[in-house]
Amino acid sequence: MISLYRPGDSLLHRMPAGPKLVVVAGLATAISLLPANPLLLAAVLVAVAGCYLQAGTGIAEAGRQLWRLRWVLLVVSLSQVFFLPVLTVAANVIRVGAVVLLANLITLTTRTDRLIDALERALRPLRRVGVNSDRVALMLSMTITTIPVIAGFAARIREAQRARGVTVSPFAAVVPLLVMALKHADDLADALVARGAD
Amino acid sequence: MTDRVIGFEHVSVHFARHTALRDVSVRLDQRRIAVIGSNGSGKSTFARTLNGLIVASEGGIRVHGIDPAREPKQVRQRVGFIFSNPDTQIIMPTVAEDVAFSLRRRGLPRQEIRDRVAAALDDFGLTAEADSPVHELSSGQKQLLALCAVLIGEPGLVVADEPTAYLDAANSRRIAGFLLDRMPQQLVLVTHDLRLAARCDVALRFEGGRLADHGEPGPVIARYEKDQDQP
Ligand SMILES: Nc1ncnc2c1ncn2[C@@H]1O[C@H](COP(=O)(O)OP(=O)(O)OP(=O)(O)O)[C@@H](O)[C@H]1O
Ligand SMILES: [Mg+2]
Repeated sequence: MISLYRPGDSLLHRMPAGPKLVVVAGLATAISLLPANPLLLAAVLVAVAGCYLQAGTGIAEAGRQLWRLRWVLLVVSLSQVFFLPVLTVAANVIRVGAVVLLANLITLTTRTDRLIDALERALRPLRRVGVNSDRVALMLSMTITTIPVIAGFAARIREAQRARGVTVSPFAAVVPLLVMALKHADDLADALVARGAD
Repeated sequence: MTDRVIGFEHVSVHFARHTALRDVSVRLDQRRIAVIGSNGSGKSTFARTLNGLIVASEGGIRVHGIDPAREPKQVRQRVGFIFSNPDTQIIMPTVAEDVAFSLRRRGLPRQEIRDRVAAALDDFGLTAEADSPVHELSSGQKQLLALCAVLIGEPGLVVADEPTAYLDAANSRRIAGFLLDRMPQQLVLVTHDLRLAARCDVALRFEGGRLADHGEPGPVIARYEKDQDQP
């Protein structure tokens, strides 16, 4: 779900990372508290689409993000559709979708290093209670680096399963994935030491 | 040439149920040092003791005057390490950030870091990829990036443990060419590619954790091949 930075020079691109984070967090909170009013919800969708247009990534990008979220959205709606009025369920799905789309907009328009710098600065006051903001920032960076690697492992396992004619079950992939991820973590730890990380 | 001497005196490395290095003593001051031997013979263990990733159970090691067990920080500034798998040595999400990572903790001003990173990327033909996510690079480019990130730290010794194992012929040639011919630093090259070993100034051969043979690469390699041919 993490889509990395797309270069550009829209207003959103030029906005400093810290304030952008604050604004988006505020908007996300507002959206999740929004009453289930069809007009308001439509307005939210239009606004989010507008943001994507403004960022220069186009509506198609938002569509791609939503497509990746399809299972989440499906679970959200199925788990509620029997108990809640349809409008409420639709509102919930739209809220989740809009919040994720907004969050993705940050990573699309902010360079990772800027984002991490901003988080590091935000965490600095916590130093007094023992939070090492430097460490947290490094951990976040490494997480972002590692996600595509793990995704690659998953793809390889799926291919291997298909090649052997095994029906592809997500559960059968968990154990090999875990093994590969742990091995990767082990090797990465060596690299951190070798590169003088601390 | 005292500043590029590697000295091992009666070094052994024991793991829980296994001895990976047995009583290794050697003194090396050549520029290019090849390390060969069969699988599990102790090559990687030897390489890893050079920057303190593995600490000797017995004996003494000196790398350019530094004891890796006692001075881990200094030895990691002095010794750059290249692993086989290009994926496991890249730490930061984008190319330029990963190269810059090697300079953190050096107390350099931001502008200087940026300039040095730009120059290093240019040197390795990675300028166009500076802001690319690392996972978009090819394996060959990733290994170039790893090398770039090591060399920007200005090490005196580069240890490479099968650096071409994951690469195709063209990329292997590029990386090997850089390590063997372009780079001024001392090199310890662990490899199964005997043609690369032949281009070094000295070769060490390990068998069963012992330093079984060392000297001129030509004869060392010839004896190794002869032993392998015997059943
Ligand atoms: N962390 C460890 N714990 C236990 N045993 C280990 C460890 N690392 C290596 N060994 C063992 O030590 C021996 C030497 O391993 P080493 O990795 O140095 O061999 P190598 O010559 O690099 O082999 P290869 O050519 O396969 O890379 C092997 O038998 C290996 O199983
Ligand atoms: Mg090895």
